[in-house]
Amino acid sequence: MVPFSSTNGNGDQVLVEENLFLRTLILNRPRQLNALSFQMVSKLLELFVAYEDDCNVKLVILKGNGRAFCAGGDVAAVVRDINGGDWRLGAKFFWKEFILNYVMATYSKPQVSILNGIVMGGGAGASMHGRFRIATENSVFAMPETALGLFPDVGASYFLSRLPGFFGEYVGLTGARLDGAEMLACGLATHFVPSTRLLLLEAALCKLDSGAPATISSILDEYSQQPHLKENSAYHKLAVINKCFSRRTIEEILSTLEREAVNSADNWISATIQSLQKASPTSLKISLRSIREGRLQDVGQCLTREYRMVCHVLQGEVSKDFFEGCRAILLDKDKNPKWEPSRLEQINESMVEQYFSKVDDEEWEDLKLPAKFTFSASLLAKL
Amino acid sequence: MGSPSPADQVSRRAQALAGHLRGLHTSMEPSLSPSPCLQYSPPELASPPSDFNLSDMRKLMDGHNLQDRDWLFGLMIQSKLFNPRVAGGRVFVSPDYNQSMEQQREMTMKRIHYLLDCGVFQEWLTGRGPEVEMRKFALHEVIGMYDHSLAVKLGVHYFLWGGAIQFFGTKRHHDKWLRDSENYVIKGCFAMTELGHGSNVRGIETVTTYDSKTGEFVINSPCESAQKYWIGGAANHATHTIVFSQLNINGKSEGVHAFIAQIRDTDGNICPNVRVADCGHKIGLNGVDNGRIWFDNVRIPRENLLNSVADVSPDGQYLSAIKDPDQRFAAFLAPLTSGRVTIATSAVYSSKMSLAIAIRYSLTRRAFSITPNQPEVLLLDYPSHQRRLLPLLAKTYAMSFAANYLKMIYVKRTPESNKTIHVVSSAFKAILTWHNMRTLQECREACGGQGLKTENRIGQMKGEYDVQSTFEGDNNVLMQQVSKALLAEYIAVQKRNRPFKGLGLEHMNKSCPVVPSQLTSSTLRSSQFQTDIFCLRERDLLIRFAAEMSQLQAQGLSREYALLQSYQLAEDLGRAFSDRAILQTFLDAEAAVSSGPLKSMLSLLRSMHVLIILEEDASFLRYGYLSPDNAAGIRKEVTILCSELRPHALALVSSFGIPDAFLSPIAFNWIDANSWSSVQPQQGATVPLQI
Repeated sequence: MVPFSSTNGNGDQVLVEENLFLRTLILNRPRQLNALSFQMVSKLLELFVAYEDDCNVKLVILKGNGRAFCAGGDVAAVVRDINGGDWRLGAKFFWKEFILNYVMATYSKPQVSILNGIVMGGGAGASMHGRFRIATENSVFAMPETALGLFPDVGASYFLSRLPGFFGEYVGLTGARLDGAEMLACGLATHFVPSTRLLLLEAALCKLDSGAPATISSILDEYSQQPHLKENSAYHKLAVINKCFSRRTIEEILSTLEREAVNSADNWISATIQSLQKASPTSLKISLRSIREGRLQDVGQCLTREYRMVCHVLQGEVSKDFFEGCRAILLDKDKNPKWEPSRLEQINESMVEQYFSKVDDEEWEDLKLPAKFTFSASLLAKL
Repeated sequence: MGSPSPADQVSRRAQALAGHLRGLHTSMEPSLSPSPCLQYSPPELASPPSDFNLSDMRKLMDGHNLQDRDWLFGLMIQSKLFNPRVAGGRVFVSPDYNQSMEQQREMTMKRIHYLLDCGVFQEWLTGRGPEVEMRKFALHEVIGMYDHSLAVKLGVHYFLWGGAIQFFGTKRHHDKWLRDSENYVIKGCFAMTELGHGSNVRGIETVTTYDSKTGEFVINSPCESAQKYWIGGAANHATHTIVFSQLNINGKSEGVHAFIAQIRDTDGNICPNVRVADCGHKIGLNGVDNGRIWFDNVRIPRENLLNSVADVSPDGQYLSAIKDPDQRFAAFLAPLTSGRVTIATSAVYSSKMSLAIAIRYSLTRRAFSITPNQPEVLLLDYPSHQRRLLPLLAKTYAMSFAANYLKMIYVKRTPESNKTIHVVSSAFKAILTWHNMRTLQECREACGGQGLKTENRIGQMKGEYDVQSTFEGDNNVLMQQVSKALLAEYIAVQKRNRPFKGLGLEHMNKSCPVVPSQLTSSTLRSSQFQTDIFCLRERDLLIRFAAEMSQLQAQGLSREYALLQSYQLAEDLGRAFSDRAILQTFLDAEAAVSSGPLKSMLSLLRSMHVLIILEEDASFLRYGYLSPDNAAGIRKEVTILCSELRPHALALVSSFGIPDAFLSPIAFNWIDANSWSSVQPQQGATVPLQI
């Protein structure tokens, strides 16, 4: 086994191990919980593109160093950039990140992501589009964007909308945390492997001389376990989730939840209502619409639309909640964002519509996806 | 040439045999490379990016409530009740038509309850105003794209049962019935048709009398032909029905009236003095429980007469503000208009689905090489295949605008516009549903053997949608009503010496349009020429029809008998009116779009729509609106238009905005969908798609 071939400077934010036909990419910013910097995204994109044409690579593993797989995009850095001047600097980060997501979603070789820790936001984007996602007892998944004044991006409108029933709306709007067993149950993970068996699993994958999904699948099966879904798991509430989160608008979702709360003493419902009440109202509205549109679109259309949306968020013409959210949660850490508009009823249809329109800026352009047409059903992320 | 000598024959035979043997030998050599397997190549790969904006086109087509539509698509895709199935790595939703009739009916009811719980039917009966009605139409259209049975079952409950209470009833009925109906606490049906009387509602034989001693009406089916027939919802689920019946008061027949009668209790048991039987298995719509009802002197409270048009006092006096029984009858039929509106629009969406599937398939399926060793030719690259599908595509665009116009005049209706709505809805219902059946058949054939698979939808839809030309007014009867209405208008104008006003007939006030004798390509594509020739035909046929009628009546025939004799002209006139009216809706939609690629595309589609009618409808040659030379020129122009539309075919069906899951496996990677691995049990740990 080759330990790893170091990447170039940049403090080795992405480590690479080469084994026969396998390349293992390790996100290596453990102190920042492997939050994706612009450098990391660029490096990952470069590597993924190179491996696609390299016949010596048949399988790519992505994992994180330390207790996180990846806690998200480094939005604090993005906000610093923008506060320093131009929103376009921030847009650049998302452009590159979404292109990476698209490359992963349409990859001709299997990607195995080992999610042995925190998987949030951008971390989900870097794993969910791949063919295999391994959860462990250490996995913690969340899309916390609505609490940050953003919306679930990185193609989340594609993968969340394809979860069973309206679980995707629930996860995307409330930022609810899921453990490994829940990830497997809802389909965010394809396998559950106890963390103690990960080394053996990786060793087995090292020996592979085939990238056939069926072969990889059978190896993963050998190390997999059926985890126990905890008693109070949100996934047991799918019936209520479907009933409430299928409603047409955020307002109706909330009022249906409140009606449910009257009939039950369930803490889960009040916690759910609370998380919606704490989230940015603008974020909730655009997130719901994004997931709903995403359900009927392919992954490229989803990312293109999300790129438009994120540019509007960065421009801040309708709302500056993203900056306020980053201030309150990531910078000042007072956890008390002052959303503006502060109430759902202050956000009308045309304000929401604005986020889905082209950006009115001469230099701006829609996300340009690399031409990829060789989708193979066996390699699509099974969601 | 003489016949070859026996020696020649022997030697040729020997050569041929040697050839076979050589062939046999070489074919066993491993070096011979097999011809490469067919690869699926998505239509997007071969089609240039569209120069018009797809979502703008979709907005124009769908016209309204796009987000509500997408929400409902999502509700269906996300529920296991809608029978999601995976093929070629994609999920498709479509009912399991292999289920028994009973199972299909139960599934329809389960799906209704699911949609009800999701709040889809909110305000469908308790809401008022154009916005509510347009939203209701949009959602109903989307439901029909999933399954016609589901849409029809809902249509009977909300549009017919609910509509009858809204329109024939008064406040006491609204307060009592609408909210419970909206929430499906009450399940309604609509008993108009009888075994002996369908289109001729005035001839129905069910009789209702009033018993002033008890203050009750007594409904009776006096003979077998009076049994109510085809009553959607009656066989299994309905608790209540609207009953259409002759009303006899004090021995005098006051004509057809509508009553509410309960037919089942809350436990689903049939009420006393009511008999119900099933209509049985049908060629389609088996998810709808059509039934038959007999009434054996069923007693209902006096308040159950829907009394907006006429009432009976407690002591048994007949009271009506409308004295003329003809007008009274017309008032009763008004709610059927909403049914015709929904039928016409759902026909357009059905055409859209079949075209989207057939055209996507024709952009990925190849057959025959034109030159040896070259790839086989894409179906849609055959001019003949273009000619089969692209004119139907253009017509579907035209009819989409017509349907939008129809919905618009319906929701903005006033007492003055009732006649227009009646005539336009009759014409459009007939034309759009006929178009749909023709489109379905052509698309089915265009998909070849794959079109025969139920999973590919089009073939099944033929059975599911066939009923559209019959229910809510037989198409032929409706078209006769159109020409009758035009004739009445013509006679009124002549008699009162006033200009034409309404029904789009104003062009008759101007001088007769002149069609140039030489028709160039640019003339053929001009909206002026297109309008002129449609107006010319309508004007001439109306005049001819009126002349023939008056001639026949002058010979002593009654008006009714003369109408029967003139059916050929009447049919041609009905078509002429419809084509002209549909073109007008197209032009109006086009005018609202600012110049650019979208407008150019619409103009191309419009030209195709008009020219194909000029080519196909014999009346243009029959009555001499076109010369044979002109007709030949038009035929040529159609092929040019086909080749101009060909590069846009994918974009034009993508603009329909139908989610992939509502199309079918042949619309996507049909090689993957049919691969050996697709029929194998899934390997390894798989995650259930839905729980």
